[in-house]
Amino acid sequence: MGGKRGHPVIVCRCRDVTLEDVEKAIEEGITDLETLKRRLNIGMGPCQGRTCIPLVASILARKLGKPVDELLIPKIRAPIIPVPVNLLLKSVDAKGERGDD
Amino acid sequence: MLKVKEEMIKTRILIVGGGISGLSIAYSLVKRGVNDIVIVEKSYLGSGSTGRCASGIRASFTSREHVVLMKHSIELWKKYAEGELGQHGLYYNQGGYVWLASREETAKTMERLVKLHNSLGVPTRIIGLDELKKLVPPIETRGIVSVLFDPTAGKSSPFKTIFAFYNLLRKKGVRIYLHTRVEEILHDDRRVYGAITSKGEIRAETIVVAAGASTRKLLEPLGVKMPLKNLPRHAMLTEAYREAFKPLVIDWDTPGVPYIVQMKSGSFLIARNIDEEPELSLYSQRIDFMPKAVKPLVRFFPWLRNTRIMRYWMGYYITTPDHHPVYGPVKDYENLYIATGFSGHGYMLAPVTGEVIAEWILNNRPSIDAARKLVLERFEKGALIKELAVVG
Ligand SMILES: Cc1cc2nc3c(=O)[nH]c(=O)nc-3n(C[C@H](O)[C@H](O)[C@H](O)COP(=O)(O)OP(=O)(O)OC[C@H]3O[C@@H](n4cnc5c(N)ncnc54)[C@H](O)[C@@H]3O)c2cc1C
Ligand code: FES
Repeated sequence: MGGKRGHPVIVCRCRDVTLEDVEKAIEEGITDLETLKRRLNIGMGPCQGRTCIPLVASILARKLGKPVDELLIPKIRAPIIPVPVNLLLKSVDAKGERGDD
Repeated sequence: MLKVKEEMIKTRILIVGGGISGLSIAYSLVKRGVNDIVIVEKSYLGSGSTGRCASGIRASFTSREHVVLMKHSIELWKKYAEGELGQHGLYYNQGGYVWLASREETAKTMERLVKLHNSLGVPTRIIGLDELKKLVPPIETRGIVSVLFDPTAGKSSPFKTIFAFYNLLRKKGVRIYLHTRVEEILHDDRRVYGAITSKGEIRAETIVVAAGASTRKLLEPLGVKMPLKNLPRHAMLTEAYREAFKPLVIDWDTPGVPYIVQMKSGSFLIARNIDEEPELSLYSQRIDFMPKAVKPLVRFFPWLRNTRIMRYWMGYYITTPDHHPVYGPVKDYENLYIATGFSGHGYMLAPVTGEVIAEWILNNRPSIDAARKLVLERFEKGALIKELAVVG
């Protein structure tokens, strides 16, 4: 791996984060995924990191010389996939509730 | 990284909590020439309330203390953004706050508030619908009877801010230990002298507890009683869209005051206060929050129907009986300081929090008058902070 000059290796395609960004953050002393996530916005895109977190986990594991399963993987938050607001509103209407209390 | 077990760490100042308060306190100390500081964070940076907040910053409040402190804080936000912290990524986007009134009564309250703000030097004003349309082009104005605009307010990015502090502080020699929990604060009758952490013992000449939701429990064994409640709050983000408007927009006349703000990433952050029990776990998620928060806003932004919610989370407001922070020394201990109880406003206040606590430690009093009243003792003495205007 490793990007050639002028050819950044994209690690997180939702938020445009490159391998170089990840390596730089690790050099800043950030060695856990939860912090890397917030430092770089990896895992903060619509896929919630399904693509990039495993990649970053393996980069980090290699740097730290640890097996990947020793790293704590960040939580995925609700909703699991992006939900259209229209649909949310229908779920309320269907139950006959008002959106306001 | 941390080798506490092998050699005991000694420091002049120990700060418990790696949220925006702890980091900002360290920064204000460093500015004054103190860099023998250790910050201990039990999880990742910003894992408490800071990383869960909306990053709104404003001085348009309803008590003299809040207005004065926040006004000062905004000056510091701007200064920090232009200085060395700005070079590390901290920014302040002064897009303003817009409060929408749908009832005549609220319109009258707004007029009174503007007078109060202006008398304290905060230039809020009532604006017409034309100006509202300029500030927030994609808004549906039907039913809006009045609009309060605070042009000095704004937003930033919680994580950009805390990593700016983190990187700068490390450069200045501050030691920051992540994933290290303070289990116990060591003390004798009149002084604190260290802490037992999950990774070993630390000795300190002075201790600052800025541990957010855990502050009360951490200080209980020292006999320090704090009237704090951890109130669950909810927020969610849409997918990213092109910039639509800059201000944070608040629907004042719907219970739970729903608000919406577009973040730098392009996502809209949407939140609303819904009834909640204090101390509930942050994993007791309320799926009903999502439609409840967005529905009132659809009236103003019909196009929201076509957006998609990407992520939803919970976080705590650490509240006090008068909704103002607990700042400064603790009566029974000579060298223990507290900064918490921000009641939902600790992000915007952080630069002032740093200054106030640093000055308490180094000069034995903060230079901002209004901050002196905010000591923990005020609850014992019944000297609560008064609201000058009642909102609602
Ligand atoms: C949904 C939501 C929206 C908000 N919106 C805004 C807003 O727009 N504007 C605004 O100003 N404020 C807002 N707030 C409030 C704001 O988030 C807080 O007031 C602020 O972040 C408090 O920062 P802090 O550093 O004091 O606390 P925290 O960020 O909670 O930091 C405390 C830290 O201490 C650590 N800690 C705790 N116990 C220990 C221990 N024993 N050992 C070591 N470390 C420990 C925690 O892990 C935590 O990281 C919002 C809050 C929420 C929940
Ligand atoms: S690829 Fe990183 S969040 Fe989707």
